[in-house]
Amino acid sequence: MPVDKFANMEEKLWILEDLNMMYIRQIALSLQDSDIQKKIDHEIRMRDGACKLLAACSQKDQALEAAKSLQTCSTRIMAYMSELQRMKEAQVMQKLTRRSSDAGPMDDRLPCKGKVAISDLRIPLMWKDTEYFKNKGELHRCAVFCLLQLGGEIFDTDMVIVDRTLTDICFDNTVVFNEASPGFELRVELYSCCSEDDYSTGSTPRKLASKLSSSLGRSAGKKFRAAMDPGPCSPVGNGAPLLLPVPSVPGPKYHLLAHTSLSLSHVQDSFRTHDLTISGNEECSYWLPLYGSMCCRLAAQPHCMTKQMMSGCLKVKQLGGEPQSWTKVYAVLKGTSLFCYHRQEDVEANVEPAFTIAINKETRIRASEKDPQSKVQNICISNQYGGEEVTHSLTTDSREDTHRWMEAFWQHFYDMSQWKQCCDDLMKIELPSPRKPAPVTPKQGSLYHEMVIESSNDLTITVSDILAQRMRELELRSQLGTSPTWMSVFEENNPKSAGRPRPCTSRLSGHSPCTPHRLPRSPVCPHRCPQLSLLSSDASLTSDSDSHCSTSPCSHRHGWPEPSSNFSLLSSSPSRLRPRTLSLDAKLSTLRGRGYGGGGTLQCPCQPPPSSLLAPFPVSSRSPRSQRSTQTTLSCSSSTSSNSSSNSEGSHSFESSEGAPFSRPSPARRSLRNLKARLDPRNWLQSQV
Amino acid sequence: MSAGQAVTAIVQRIEIHKLRHGDNLILGFSIGGGIDQDPGQNPFSGDKTDKGIYVTRISQRGPAEEAGLRMGDKIMQVNGWDMTMVTHDQARKRLTKKNEDVVRLLVTRKSLEEAVKHSKGSYPRQ
Repeated sequence: MPVDKFANMEEKLWILEDLNMMYIRQIALSLQDSDIQKKIDHEIRMRDGACKLLAACSQKDQALEAAKSLQTCSTRIMAYMSELQRMKEAQVMQKLTRRSSDAGPMDDRLPCKGKVAISDLRIPLMWKDTEYFKNKGELHRCAVFCLLQLGGEIFDTDMVIVDRTLTDICFDNTVVFNEASPGFELRVELYSCCSEDDYSTGSTPRKLASKLSSSLGRSAGKKFRAAMDPGPCSPVGNGAPLLLPVPSVPGPKYHLLAHTSLSLSHVQDSFRTHDLTISGNEECSYWLPLYGSMCCRLAAQPHCMTKQMMSGCLKVKQLGGEPQSWTKVYAVLKGTSLFCYHRQEDVEANVEPAFTIAINKETRIRASEKDPQSKVQNICISNQYGGEEVTHSLTTDSREDTHRWMEAFWQHFYDMSQWKQCCDDLMKIELPSPRKPAPVTPKQGSLYHEMVIESSNDLTITVSDILAQRMRELELRSQLGTSPTWMSVFEENNPKSAGRPRPCTSRLSGHSPCTPHRLPRSPVCPHRCPQLSLLSSDASLTSDSDSHCSTSPCSHRHGWPEPSSNFSLLSSSPSRLRPRTLSLDAKLSTLRGRGYGGGGTLQCPCQPPPSSLLAPFPVSSRSPRSQRSTQTTLSCSSSTSSNSSSNSEGSHSFESSEGAPFSRPSPARRSLRNLKARLDPRNWLQSQV
Repeated sequence: MSAGQAVTAIVQRIEIHKLRHGDNLILGFSIGGGIDQDPGQNPFSGDKTDKGIYVTRISQRGPAEEAGLRMGDKIMQVNGWDMTMVTHDQARKRLTKKNEDVVRLLVTRKSLEEAVKHSKGSYPRQ
């Protein structure tokens, strides 16, 4: 029966995999390297987990994330395995050379290691203008991420969904590799996967699924081999398809779209553009029109620049001074200088050194003749300061010390010659902030997210209020469930987290910490009490779907919190739904009467009527004096117009002349700005009418 | 919602009388959206592929606010012209015709739908 045959094949594949694992384990054991074995085991467990998750999840975003983890784990497993192979080979070679007794003294000086960091990856895209501007055709979406490999370490970036509204693929991860040698090769691989196909196997019959998975085993092996070849690690030879075939799980699969290799020559303290080698062509589903280059910032911090390479007590004399003017110092060799402190304790105390001798590529160091009295060689360090040559003489207490210092200097020079431009100045490497567990962002790097984090702008407050109400409405629709990702943008104090929203657990109370710009409104607080009573009386009138929040102010009226924790008022009570008893028109008329008639009690500037009850906070903050509210409107418009120049143009494409609450910008300026705004499709254009 | 699907929604009629301010006729709100815009950036739409025209800001005590327009409303029609499949600029133009003093909008908002839904059927009472 055909089913059995395929099931058999699958079994065989699994048996082969088990055998391979045993082989790997044997190698690891023989090398007595349990470290790599542990890593491999860990990755295999992760991979199994990812496979299971992939098979189980139904949501597209989850599937893409799981497939990404799968790809990362597979790549890591390959890397570890090839490292194992290399170690085994090296061991064998070592045994051979030892036997041949031919090897000279292992005198090779090894350069120091360093930290290499790659950040701000940006890959420009080159859409056809018909697709881009006119937004024609189906929106072709791909999920992409990058794998960064250096030595044995592999890191993946976050996943980004790309469609034709993006001009660049941006990854804002910073990846730091800690132990890199100067001859490193940092391999950057861009994987992409079409995110439109229906790859859930819920509909696929089981037989077909198993048939597909086992028949894909061969092609997966081919892909495996292909992926192995460009790798920096040595290919495993002819056994590649058999060596741990990638388990083929139905689901989204990432394909290599482009890759490049970076090395020491690409390291620079600023952004540089590098060429990408693109694999695949237009026919592939995962194709994206890449411009062909990649921008990133590749920085390196060799250890000789950041760590103390040598330290000890010395006596220093400047040549040309008196013969007895030896200064006793505690010297520290670090970076491009020899720091001489008066005492050893000064180093930790961060006291300024007594003086500093430059040790850089221009420095000349030599040992002088033996001092007739002490029979110890001096070390002479010569530098060119300006046009003059200044020489310092160092001496130590014993010959061994002198020797050690000379050795340290030679090593330092060697390191500097190996790390080349990295030793000119210390390059800054920002450590990535601890990652927060984040759900998959459907839209990353959207200017809207960047835009609203700018605080101290009344308009932002309006927008965040609006969105707070929107949140409440959504809260009702789904009692559980996470907020839309854009909501959590406002729960962060830290503007940097704009791109990484997290699930909104405490939906509205989360607003309370995020109110640095709300504090100025605190004087308004005392006015709120009477308004709440008005609110609660209205609550009975206009009962509607958002009434749960209308009850909460009542219940909280007695315990009046301070203004900054205003939203906690509204978040605590669970949603209680009450029947609508009024028609829409009547409701709106009551709102109108309440909102605009009364002398400044409840002015609802921008709120959807049913949830206007929810917003005593922004309302009261604006309401007490109408002058203030006009002022805030004005300040809002004027600050926005200054903002819009720094921000994306046209995203809030309105401005106001002073003193006029409503005015439209002159047609000429507006058309120019509109044109610019329209030409930049990343903006979500807004027009004032 | 993609092109070609019928759009059904609970709508409300809003009649805005434009305010004359110098040479301009002001309605007092801002719109966002359009078929040439990125729907994913719309904070008001429930469906992130919805390319309709949404009200993004209401000027305080302006004609739009007094007429009952609210932020987050989706504008379906303006004076009989459809606004669900227009570019941003087309939408703006339809609202700012110089010879029209009054615009009659057909808008929909989530809360309306919610409200009607709740008033119709049963729902958990707590």
